Amino acid sequence: MTKLIQSLAIAGLTLGAGALTASASSHREAPAIAEDQYVDNTDVYAFISPNNPGNLVIVADYVPLLLPASGPNFYKFSDNARYEIHIDNDGDAVPDIAYRWTFRSQRKNGATFLYNTGPVDSLTSPNLNVTQTYRLEKVNERTRQTTTIMDNVPVAPWNVGSRSFASYEPVALQAVTTARGVTSFAGPRDEPFFVDLHVFDLLGVGGAHTTDGVNVMSLVLEVPITDVASRGTRPVAGASGKTSVVGIYASASRPRVRFLRSGRGHDNFGDFVQVSRLGWPLVNEVIIPLQDKDKYNRTSPRDDVANFGAYILDPEVPKLLNLVLHANCAPTPAMGRLDIVGLLGPNGTKAADLLRININQGQTNNDSHFPNGRALTDDVTDTLLTVACNNGGKVGDGVDANDKPFTASFPYLASPHSGNPPRP
Amino acid sequence: MHKCLVLLVITAAACGQGDRAQPQQQPSPAGLAHASQADLAREIAEADRLGTWPELQRRWQGQTVRWTVTRQRLLCRSAGDCNVAAFPIQRPARQGWMPELQFAPGQYDVLAGVCGDREACDVTIEGTLRQLEVSAELPTSVQLANVKIVTARS
Repeated sequence: MTKLIQSLAIAGLTLGAGALTASASSHREAPAIAEDQYVDNTDVYAFISPNNPGNLVIVADYVPLLLPASGPNFYKFSDNARYEIHIDNDGDAVPDIAYRWTFRSQRKNGATFLYNTGPVDSLTSPNLNVTQTYRLEKVNERTRQTTTIMDNVPVAPWNVGSRSFASYEPVALQAVTTARGVTSFAGPRDEPFFVDLHVFDLLGVGGAHTTDGVNVMSLVLEVPITDVASRGTRPVAGASGKTSVVGIYASASRPRVRFLRSGRGHDNFGDFVQVSRLGWPLVNEVIIPLQDKDKYNRTSPRDDVANFGAYILDPEVPKLLNLVLHANCAPTPAMGRLDIVGLLGPNGTKAADLLRININQGQTNNDSHFPNGRALTDDVTDTLLTVACNNGGKVGDGVDANDKPFTASFPYLASPHSGNPPRP
Repeated sequence: MHKCLVLLVITAAACGQGDRAQPQQQPSPAGLAHASQADLAREIAEADRLGTWPELQRRWQGQTVRWTVTRQRLLCRSAGDCNVAAFPIQRPARQGWMPELQFAPGQYDVLAGVCGDREACDVTIEGTLRQLEVSAELPTSVQLANVKIVTARS
């Protein structure tokens, strides 16, 4: 890749410095996970609830770049995986709490190839043939004590098309469930990440909205901040200690052993092994090089500095921007990019790839913008490229907003694109 | 029979994990007293090509090394939480590892004293390579124990 870029530079290729490199936040970002799409983390968002400033909203997206017309086996969550959101509430980069989703698929009629056998107007419709339910648990990651928050909760169905769903979104929103003060949604949504993926054609970006029109599988959680704060207490306004922020990452895990039997399906055994993780956007995508991408997905944030710290201190991105796009990014200072280290470890917390957000009293939704949490509307590609380039100017990929507006109420993400929209 | 086979596979998988985590007790080979971190990085790159991870671990683990490293204050804030840069910045970061230091008694204070409030300072340290994680599956991590400060400069 570097040689190709050098060749391009030698050949005199110049591109506008206003439209620079980017990639999907963490979509198919490592070789191994690209072979296991259903457990591929794509993005994590965290923000103070716009409707209740006492609540924290966390979104964890999986299964990247989904075509809406993807039948007959439409996308879902894996039945053989654990999907988790981990929260560190005392600044040591070791998770204290996890919310864990596990899924189970059902079908009403195995004698048809159809996902639904007629129009669907509710989640309990007999025409909804293929369904999925989940259990949501809260795990104390220090003691491993697990509490079931809700069980047998329906996953929102795929937006098959206008013949199947005359009005899709009201049906999908029936999947919003609240128990023990926790509100959860699991199901397909419009892909909220916006970027020009032409970066992978030799950095050929220029404002193309390449993630428009595709969907993603979303887990959305809204919890009282006191449920995740250290000792169950929200810090006072202006507090600046390690417990004034929580650090969040999402992961997916698979059973250690899978037995494939000739003619008899398969079985899973053993404990669960992490196969994917994500905190900040774009870290494994563009900070971690190919040789370590799979290794990154297997490890924990608490070891990020020990394992990958040198990549953070001297990132590759600004060098590529200079080499290929003559972006005039600042050279890495002799002491390294301590500014990035500082962003990864605010308020004295241990630097790690965790999405950290201030949870002090008085914090509102307006305060939740990357890198203090991450709002759905945040153009993190531009933010991170600007930080990486570090030359006082703004750089970006030319894509500044999502194709669909986000919603003001839970689950906040836009309705997924239809597999067969009404025709004029 | 089938259950036994399953049990065997699970046990083998668990034992494999344990083997990787256990330090290898091997006699210390000569010739590493003056080996630098660049030498280690070179051997890691070679093991990545040839799959010679066990040999690499046996050769280096347990050795005493004397390296000049960079201490960034943000990444080495206490005796119990200290990683240092093994290579000069602006050298292409071909490997990501930053050694974790476990200090001999009083030596973190020596480090803090000589580096003061500087954001970064170069120090020559001596320590034992107590744990070296090198494999095709997990990222390289290096832990130096009984670390003593030899010299320091800003």
